[in-house]
Amino acid sequence: MPRISIYQEDHIPSPSRRLWEAFSANPFALAGFWAVIFLLIIALFGPLIAPYSPEMQDPKAMLLPPSWDPAGTVEHFLGTDDLGRDIFSRLLYGAQLTFGMALLIVATALGLGFVIGALSGMTRGLKSSVLSHLLDALLSIPSLLMAILVVAVTGPGLENIFWAVGLALTPQFVRAIHQAIHEELQKEYVTAARLDGANSLQIFWYVIMPNVWDTVIIQTTLAISAAILDIAALGFLGLGAQAPSPEWGAMVSQGVDNLLIAPWLVTLPGLAILFTVLAINLVGDGLRSALTPIRN
Amino acid sequence: MAKYLLRRLNLFLATSAVLMLVLFLATRMFPVDLGVALTGVEQPTQEQQQQTIKAYALDGSGFSQYVAFLQQRLGGNMGISMTSQQSVAGELVDVLPASFELIIVTSLMALALGIPIGVLAALSNSKATQNVIMALTLTGYSIPVFWLGLSLSLWFGVKLGWLPISGQLNLLYEIPRVTGFVLIDTLIADTPYSMSAFKDAVLHIILPATTLAVFPFTVVVRITRAAMANVMTQTYVRAAEARGLSTAMIVLRHALPNALIPVLKSMGLMLGAFTSYAIVVEVIFSWPGVGAWLVQGIYQRDYTVIQSGIMVVALLIIFMSILIDVLHTATNPLSRKELYATN
Repeated sequence: MPRISIYQEDHIPSPSRRLWEAFSANPFALAGFWAVIFLLIIALFGPLIAPYSPEMQDPKAMLLPPSWDPAGTVEHFLGTDDLGRDIFSRLLYGAQLTFGMALLIVATALGLGFVIGALSGMTRGLKSSVLSHLLDALLSIPSLLMAILVVAVTGPGLENIFWAVGLALTPQFVRAIHQAIHEELQKEYVTAARLDGANSLQIFWYVIMPNVWDTVIIQTTLAISAAILDIAALGFLGLGAQAPSPEWGAMVSQGVDNLLIAPWLVTLPGLAILFTVLAINLVGDGLRSALTPIRN
Repeated sequence: MAKYLLRRLNLFLATSAVLMLVLFLATRMFPVDLGVALTGVEQPTQEQQQQTIKAYALDGSGFSQYVAFLQQRLGGNMGISMTSQQSVAGELVDVLPASFELIIVTSLMALALGIPIGVLAALSNSKATQNVIMALTLTGYSIPVFWLGLSLSLWFGVKLGWLPISGQLNLLYEIPRVTGFVLIDTLIADTPYSMSAFKDAVLHIILPATTLAVFPFTVVVRITRAAMANVMTQTYVRAAEARGLSTAMIVLRHALPNALIPVLKSMGLMLGAFTSYAIVVEVIFSWPGVGAWLVQGIYQRDYTVIQSGIMVVALLIIFMSILIDVLHTATNPLSRKELYATN
């Protein structure tokens, strides 16, 4: 068969195409990617899949072990807790609270941090310094202490976690974006663009931002995993989601009372958190190594 | 360098002032009477009320109130705890050493294990070793610390019964408090059982320190590995090889000092997360440190404890991160290049 292409040139893939190729060449990253998609589906449609309601108590099936245990039944696939609530359904509902909440918090923090970071990165002198260091004080309060402060003011609850974790994450975005922009600004291609007559807005959006997006993406994946761990830790300490809630950290703390006779009440939600954070970290790691060769 | 130090000092003061402002505003928002939130005295007499108003300049302007608040808090007057009716500053002095002890032991563990393993991972050519180390660190990085703590205490504390899972020391031992660090106190205590008390203290610290060390350990391994792999491709390492130096010499004298610079920097960055983890670990293992004390404070809505605990911990973190920043600049001439540029 004759070659159709007259010019024997190879097709040059676009940057995003190359990113995907580099990313999917790493099997671990790809596995993490599918796991994240799986979790997203669960977070969206979990309530439809769940066989029981998360608060439904089955008085005939209390502290039932998971179904692979000889004493377990397949009706309650992952067993039940001391009130007879189905663990499988609670985990599915909890995905929305832990994982969904983390995504929401990170999106808000990213939006806010991006605006402040970009403003402070593009400006110079005192204004830049004030903007970038304004939130440094918040950066020094760990998320857990921030949550304690918020809870002291408003009382415990899942909404307050939004503020606590969000306030703790925003300065990190501000700092990362400020530094990335500041670093790029000193490079010569920016000077070249400026000499070509580009104004600040054009320099920001068309010249600098394409080189900063990878920092933003990496910071976002880091923030999501940190947010999940924080939400769960707060739920565990009883400062976040409160007792009947199927938030994973709160489920662990509810299971602690029966740790010795029913260890699966602690193990299963813990594994769910581990699985979620691991998947996100795998994707983040894969993205980081896929983005670096393009950059160099 | 002097100018740089001055700038860092300025940064420290400014950040601390903003932090105090945050706390000052938060105090106003606590759902109790302002005087109670500031002093912790729930039923103050007429005289005490007058004293509070005078000390915190409550009849003055907002700014003079802030200045008075700063004076009181930094002067060591943190009020009394609403639950125990003890001075908060005194309680802080009691709980701080325990936290420092845990954190020092943990950091030593993380560094002593993390750096060699990171170097090993960078130098090893076998794909399998590298993958195993990366998989382990990634898992360690993703593990929720409270779950890890519970699992370890269930396994080693309850099922196997090897290690104690709560507190710092068995209550049988009566050790006079000298430094507040139990590991040191038991050693210098002048009692016939001081050695067995020391062993007991070591056994008590193993589980909490291991749980807490997993996170910094994984970070140290990852950063060391990346930095080491980077340094080993540099020309000066090739020059050292060409001079016929042994591998150990090259690694220890030429590569490692440069590879440790990013590790130092990452330690500054993970301070916040590390503190959060330390608080959770203290709660799980009933470690009598600041974290457990603070969480107790929030359960009991003890507003003076919450305020001063957050203040002290956050000030320590600000100080430590600026100290690490200064050390980083002092040890790394490259980072001084941008020092005097416009920023």
